[in-house]
Amino acid sequence: MFEFFNQPEIIKIVVIIGSMTLFFVGLFGLLTQKHLIKIFMSVAIMESGLFLLFIGLIYKQNALAPILTDNQQGFINMNDPVPQAMILTAIVIGMAVLALGVSFAIEYHKLTGKTDIDEITSLRN
Amino acid sequence: MSSVLFIALPLLFGFATPILSRFGKNGVAFTSLAMQLFLLFLAFTLIGDKPYIEIISIAPPLGISFVLNNISLFFVTLFTFLMVAFSIYYLSYRKTDAYKNETKFFILLNMLLASAIGLVLSSDIFNVYVFFEIAGISAYILTAYKKTPSALEAGIKYLLTGSIASIFLVFAIILIYLNIGSLNLAIIAQDFETLPYNLKVFISILFLIGFGFKVEIFPLNFWVSDVYEGSTALVNSLFSGIVVKAYLFAFFHILYLFLPSGEFSTFLIYLGAISMIIAEIVALKQTNLKRVFAYSSLGQVALIFTAFALQSIDAIQGALFIILAHSIAKIVIFLALTTIEKNYKSLDINVLKELNAPFLRVVIVIAMLSLLGIPLFAGFIGKFLVLKAFAVEQIFPILAIIIIASLLEAVYYFKLIGFMFEKGDRKDKIKVDFTHKFIFSLLTFLILLVGITPFVISGFLLDSANVMLDSISYIAMLVKG
Repeated sequence: MFEFFNQPEIIKIVVIIGSMTLFFVGLFGLLTQKHLIKIFMSVAIMESGLFLLFIGLIYKQNALAPILTDNQQGFINMNDPVPQAMILTAIVIGMAVLALGVSFAIEYHKLTGKTDIDEITSLRN
Repeated sequence: MSSVLFIALPLLFGFATPILSRFGKNGVAFTSLAMQLFLLFLAFTLIGDKPYIEIISIAPPLGISFVLNNISLFFVTLFTFLMVAFSIYYLSYRKTDAYKNETKFFILLNMLLASAIGLVLSSDIFNVYVFFEIAGISAYILTAYKKTPSALEAGIKYLLTGSIASIFLVFAIILIYLNIGSLNLAIIAQDFETLPYNLKVFISILFLIGFGFKVEIFPLNFWVSDVYEGSTALVNSLFSGIVVKAYLFAFFHILYLFLPSGEFSTFLIYLGAISMIIAEIVALKQTNLKRVFAYSSLGQVALIFTAFALQSIDAIQGALFIILAHSIAKIVIFLALTTIEKNYKSLDINVLKELNAPFLRVVIVIAMLSLLGIPLFAGFIGKFLVLKAFAVEQIFPILAIIIIASLLEAVYYFKLIGFMFEKGDRKDKIKVDFTHKFIFSLLTFLILLVGITPFVISGFLLDSANVMLDSISYIAMLVKG
């Protein structure tokens, strides 16, 4: 019943639609939410949408893991390892920035009691 | 080997700081300065033998590669020099007013230096992204370091805009990899022409938005003045001198290599001109000194942006002169503001009326005149070259905008100078200690040296401009490995 979805073209379309939906959900949250933590969450959702898009589109079905063994000497019919390494790095960086942002928000809340982005305006004149 | 040292040493040092701090209170400060002095010495020895080219490439064209040529050497030397000046200033500042948890402060400083140099040296688009983020993260933490409400507010704003910028940059990199299948700048540059027109425009726009936040260009620079006001003047000297310049170079480096020229560069020229004039107009009515100089930074960076976007040798040489003059002048001004703030506990514009420090007054005036582009100061030659380049290309609207912006700049600078020499009550005299006097004298001497005898450095800058614009030989060199 679900063989239809195993075709590479269909998977590609599903990946594109799904990850772009996630991206725009994040963008919508970024533009509409007022709570600092929610804004950081929206940024994280946007990022994951992008990462899924990349990994989903670059993945080849029925290809091997990119590891050279005795049986497998050349880079034939393998998945590309670069995107995976790239996305792993990007996830780690994104996580670090997110943690930093949340810790700033918590410290700020401790000092002033504010979490609404519209109220954080003491520097504007 | 040396190009790796420029990145590896500060990074290693940064991570070794917790261990070094066990050897005593002053250990970290002095070893950090010694390491930076060594890097500066290394950079100066490399400037001697020109034209210098060094490529570190691990398994080309797949692996990581760093390119150290004339133009990146200029930026590396500038950044290490500014960091050394900053460290010497901080060495004496910390005796009375040290940052809390100083170990962390030194980690961040060295990370900032390493990532700024990394942005300049990498010729691999993913490494550009990684250093883009490292520079960002250290800058966010330095902004919020004092943990006062305003510092945290500035940090939150900086971090939010920075993470939005990085999303757009990642999007651009992903699209490039999906369509070209490489991260090496040279290979991307070779294959970029073959992409469909719409895709090229889309990627360029993503790049422009991603870097636009960081190079402080008009619609995306709303955060800059808040960040400058919220963080300390001490740290602002690094933001204005090092961080923006590294991002500017990385953006235009990529732009020259593969982003479309023609209509796109005309658009960039006008974008820069608009942000310049808006920044100077807004600067007129600021009442906080940090904000005034934040907006003046925006104006100068937009001028550099416009000059780079023209893509002519003269304009690039002029832009490099402005970068040199602006970095030195801004570090002088922000360090002087740090001393003033430390003594008078305020940086309101009226504090200048009661300023009682003849030495600082002279230093600030020299730096401001250099920013204005008065002859015999370092800023003049750069502005002159840029104006000449636009006159040669016959783009007169930009010429007019640059001159109007300079006039507006003159209005508020002379207002500030007038405040400083106004007659009236003065506060207690500020005592500037010997180390600070030394560093201010050195920097102002450099401003005057470059202003009076620009030929000392113009040859090197001309070579650098040539190297920066010559993307064909850059690509050939990089593909060969």
